[in-house]
Amino acid sequence: MSVMTDQSTPHQSHVLSQDVKMGGSVPFWAVFKRELGLYFRSPVAYAIAFAMLFFLGVLFNGYLSQALDAQAGVLADAGYMPFLLTFLLFLIAPLLTMRLLAEEAREGTLEVLMTLPMHEGQFIIGKFLAAWAYYTVLLLLTLVHFLVLNSIGTPDMGQTFGAYLGAWLYGGAVIAVCMIWTAVTEDQIIAAFLSAATVLVLYLADVAALFITNTNPQLAEFVRELGLSAHYGSTMAAGIIRLEDILYFVFMIIGALFITTRIVETRRWRA
Amino acid sequence: MIEVDNLTKRYGEVAAVKGVSFTAQPGQVTGFLGPNGAGKTTTMRMLTGYMPPTSGSAKVAGFDVFDQSMQVRQRVGYLAESVPLYRDMTARGYLMYVGEIRGVRNVGRRADEVLDRVGLIDRAHSRIRTLSKGMRQRVGLAQALLHNPPVLILDEPTIGLDPYQVLELRSLVRDLGRDHTLLFSTHILSEAEQVCDKVVIINQGEITAQGSPAELRHDMARGGRILMRVQSDPEAAAELVRELPGVESAVVDPVMDGGIVITPSGVNSDPRTVIADTIIGKGIKLVELRPLAVNLEEIFLEFTRQQAVNEIAAEAAEQASADAETESA
Repeated sequence: MSVMTDQSTPHQSHVLSQDVKMGGSVPFWAVFKRELGLYFRSPVAYAIAFAMLFFLGVLFNGYLSQALDAQAGVLADAGYMPFLLTFLLFLIAPLLTMRLLAEEAREGTLEVLMTLPMHEGQFIIGKFLAAWAYYTVLLLLTLVHFLVLNSIGTPDMGQTFGAYLGAWLYGGAVIAVCMIWTAVTEDQIIAAFLSAATVLVLYLADVAALFITNTNPQLAEFVRELGLSAHYGSTMAAGIIRLEDILYFVFMIIGALFITTRIVETRRWRA
Repeated sequence: MIEVDNLTKRYGEVAAVKGVSFTAQPGQVTGFLGPNGAGKTTTMRMLTGYMPPTSGSAKVAGFDVFDQSMQVRQRVGYLAESVPLYRDMTARGYLMYVGEIRGVRNVGRRADEVLDRVGLIDRAHSRIRTLSKGMRQRVGLAQALLHNPPVLILDEPTIGLDPYQVLELRSLVRDLGRDHTLLFSTHILSEAEQVCDKVVIINQGEITAQGSPAELRHDMARGGRILMRVQSDPEAAAELVRELPGVESAVVDPVMDGGIVITPSGVNSDPRTVIADTIIGKGIKLVELRPLAVNLEEIFLEFTRQQAVNEIAAEAAEQASADAETESA
């Protein structure tokens, strides 16, 4: 059964339209393709990529000359670049995500999306995957630094893998958290600021934990484990792949996307 | 087929739609008529599955809008009031996107078909932001037709168009009404009269009247105000009529060019025969005696006036909000 009914014969089309049968559709895939395409056509996305690569390049250059001066064996630390990238995520992720839902809400296109036969979760997942895919491209671009390191030293392959896998999951978690704020407000700037603030808080959780570690060590440990740094900087960036760290990022992604979906649903109830 | 039963939507204390019931039949254009803020958009949003009702129920193409939202969405084409579109996409690209989400097969060919249907095939590859308001409206309409739904819900499709585009769109709506269940809202009364097989009048979240334009006109013969003209001395005639049973007031209205506007005392009373007998019996030359409202515009004002009068009687001076309604009467 096809929806391709002939409009010129009203009777027939009426009969067929009563039992329109659609092909198997994967709505999130359509959303994903559109959003990813937008990143590659958007000047903002290229500006982000340029700024990030430029900044990382300058730091990498400084790191290299310092390491060469020292003539020490620290040269081949392949975890350094992914580590810096994860720090920069508090700037990158809000810029990548601020548009995703806020713009649809402001332009009113969310209303159309929500009257299509698609669950809210589908387009939120589609949009999230698109942002994550774009981040993945950025991450792969930083492999340039690894190639340079590889040509002048001998980086630890295990550490490299762990650091990049960790940076990838880290990015997914941060992007998912930023999705919450773009669902909350129609204002992209507010979404970006709140996202950046949230990511910084999560990033600095281990610093906060240091302050209370003397008064309440258990709480301090809890706060530290909640933060992003405890699951990347000292473990995966150093090539130590722990299941708990991977689960932390995966649950962060699932949890944040779940919250985002609920927020979009509630907006609809109040709309 | 759209069946709405006692549908209500509240935002906190405020009820935007209060127990609305009506049906829209296949093969007919049903007009949803009311002033701005009457609850038209809210009702339509509930019918499309965009927002859930607070209470009451509605069935679209046989499926409940709340419990079977996905089935309803598959069978409804919806044009939202503001015609939200992705401005950076081409008309065809946008249709492809919506079609892919909907799971329409051969989506490219189907997109071309509907673009052709709304007369926009030559602008298929233009970016939406370069299209005129009327063209965007048609892109929105193409989107609603894309999956060939049995039910079409169009929220103020003619708003913001130039007179020629309005005529085009009205004829398209009439045309589509023949093989769809078509519900469309408007605040333009003459439009509803021209296009609709059935009119549902909504005001302040409540349905004031419904029926075919002809039926509404007929109903107005009962309970509505009456216009009477006599050849000479209208004041004396008004004095006479005022004394009759079933007449609440009779005043000479300078706006009506010396006609006498008679208000019946009850909603269901029609004192016309008594008035005619009396006037003629007294030897006064009767020129005209008819319901005041003859076109939909007047009917609409009459219905909203009656509603306001009833409310004032019921609530007395309890709420000052009634002021706005009496103004519109």
